[in-house]
Amino acid sequence: MDVASEKRLREEEALIEKNVLVTTIDKALNWARGHSFWPVTLGLACCAIEMMATGGPRYDISRFGYEVFRASPRQADVMIVAGTCTRKMAPLLRRIYDQMPEPKWVIAMGSCANAGGPFVDSYSMLAGVDKILPVDVYIPGCPPRPESLIYGLLQLQYKVSNPAKVRLMRHGK
Amino acid sequence: MENNVLNRYVDELATRVNGVVEESFGVLMLKVQAPYIIEALTGAKNFPDVPCDFLHDLCGMDYGDHFEVVYQLSSLHGPQRLRVKASIDRENPVVDSATRIWEGANFLEREAYDMFGIIFKGHPNLKRIYMWDDFEGHPLRKDYVTEPIEVRNVVRKRKEGE
Repeated sequence: MDVASEKRLREEEALIEKNVLVTTIDKALNWARGHSFWPVTLGLACCAIEMMATGGPRYDISRFGYEVFRASPRQADVMIVAGTCTRKMAPLLRRIYDQMPEPKWVIAMGSCANAGGPFVDSYSMLAGVDKILPVDVYIPGCPPRPESLIYGLLQLQYKVSNPAKVRLMRHGK
Repeated sequence: MENNVLNRYVDELATRVNGVVEESFGVLMLKVQAPYIIEALTGAKNFPDVPCDFLHDLCGMDYGDHFEVVYQLSSLHGPQRLRVKASIDRENPVVDSATRIWEGANFLEREAYDMFGIIFKGHPNLKRIYMWDDFEGHPLRKDYVTEPIEVRNVVRKRKEGE
């Protein structure tokens, strides 16, 4: 091999080291998923007002890449259950969840979605959406402030980006 | 002056339908028994000069020993207001429907039926409006007992076409 071509190869190698990042496909996909959730617009009660405020310019959820609220569950991958879920609403909520494509996550926003909230003793109340959906993140508050929702979404981002770590945390390790 | 005219008409109507007239916070109140309710409402709607021809609201009430249906009447032609109350037997809660007089009573009566189990005779579509169809009991009755949380957390299945 002549000196010139060897030099060229060395240079290319150095260039590759600088510009190519080696990772697993899973990690790359999770990174992409965690940094651009597409929430389905699901405002059931007053928490929805806070969710709208989060989407507005003051709190500006688009700083994190979550601003694409979709009206169709088929285009969304995270469901923010914002508000009171009654027992009449429960089957419909489940149906919307079923219509979302995998992978999908659920955020329970506010006391009502967490555990029934102030209406838990009412005849029409479902005590928490975790009775029908697998909830990933619970956001307490009545209603939670927009900062709480953003924090909850960031927690979900952490969970999605580091699934193994979160699994370990869950088992107390 | 308006109120005096209305007062006179309501008094006349009360004698016709065996009602009692009271006044509460400036609103005349006509209490009648359930069988006279259609006559009372029709009469109030057709008052000369001061017709109470607009059904503002309709709701049920549970007094423990009897039910009441409250009709809030007003008018788009004047300031007159009238509240008609029909007293209904608790064991046999049947009253004539006001949908023949006001079409808008339809949903309001369905609400009263849903929450109190008051049956409106002659209603075109008397079924539950807030609760689902297979819900048992009428939740705003005083003797309604809410099911324990374990029962309430069992989620019903979705029905076809829902």
